[in-house]
Amino acid sequence: MKEILSDVERWREAGEQVVVATVVATRRSAPRPVGASLAISESGALCGSVSGGCVESDVFVEAQTVLETGEPKLLSYGISDDEAWSVGLPCGGEIDVFVERVE
Amino acid sequence: MSLVGKLVAIGERGERAVLFTVIEGDGVGRKLLAVEGGGVDGDGPPELAEHADEILRRGRNRLLELDGRRVFAEVYGPPPRIFVYGAVDTAEALCRSAQLLGWTSIVADARAKFATRERIPTADELIVAWPQEAFAQVAPDHQTAVVVLTHDDKFDEPALLAALASEAFYIGALGSRRNQERRRGRLLAAGVAEAQLERISGPCGLDIGADSQAETALSIVAEILAARAGRGGGPLRQAPHRIHVEVEEPVRG
Repeated sequence: MKEILSDVERWREAGEQVVVATVVATRRSAPRPVGASLAISESGALCGSVSGGCVESDVFVEAQTVLETGEPKLLSYGISDDEAWSVGLPCGGEIDVFVERVE
Repeated sequence: MSLVGKLVAIGERGERAVLFTVIEGDGVGRKLLAVEGGGVDGDGPPELAEHADEILRRGRNRLLELDGRRVFAEVYGPPPRIFVYGAVDTAEALCRSAQLLGWTSIVADARAKFATRERIPTADELIVAWPQEAFAQVAPDHQTAVVVLTHDDKFDEPALLAALASEAFYIGALGSRRNQERRRGRLLAAGVAEAQLERISGPCGLDIGADSQAETALSIVAEILAARAGRGGGPLRQAPHRIHVEVEEPVRG
């Protein structure tokens, strides 16, 4: 969350709920390092990234549920994933992304 | 104060901290914030704080596996520093390389005519002082790389002695092989243990055929990065391990 801290703070101060998705593990090749994160505000604003753009749209969808329920989620993406054809990493790696609502 | 507020405040004060988040197992989503040399905060397992110091020294985010839980540890803190003793031309080139990495650069020299803004415009900090005083002021820690560039024994030797007495994660010294040998003898005579001398990279830099000041700086900074990541610094094509520095499997505690 370090890279996106100022945006998260700004959105929170404006009274918005914020969900943060963070790369917590990578296996083989991966576009962004462990700790890279994407913040999504209640109104749909984005900052940061968790991949080169390959999985952000799916993370965005998952983030909506986390925003509503407050229950964090651990997502995995990569070639071994069922969704490899729709949401995958072209570099052939795998990433785990933890999605949580900022309390 | 909210967690985000605390993290912002830590950043503003230039402190270091580790934010632990349970991502799998008992208590998913719980967090523990451990500030270096200071307090612990949050509803995460308090025993996680024991790992903070080692994680801060490595300076990298990582995943831990502890008591059936997977815990993500994120490092907060100021960027690493490069402390150059010797305000020579290469010092300015090193500052530019440091700037490219987003690191902080500090240049010191006892000679006021050398340590000037005109000569070293890029340094984040310029200090005119003899080595002992300059090192006391900068206080190199485990996130500081020291490079000694004066080529003059009366500065280089006390600077290297001060660097060896610090926790600097990298100590480099310019100079020909012949000068390195001579310096080695003098440091041994000054009471430095043989094993301690192994901490000094001299001549510093990777073997990339560097010639100009900018090339030399790049070669030194590349060696500093390799030292920080525990890598040898050869071509990736020939590397036996993974390209990126993160551990492939979670570290078991």
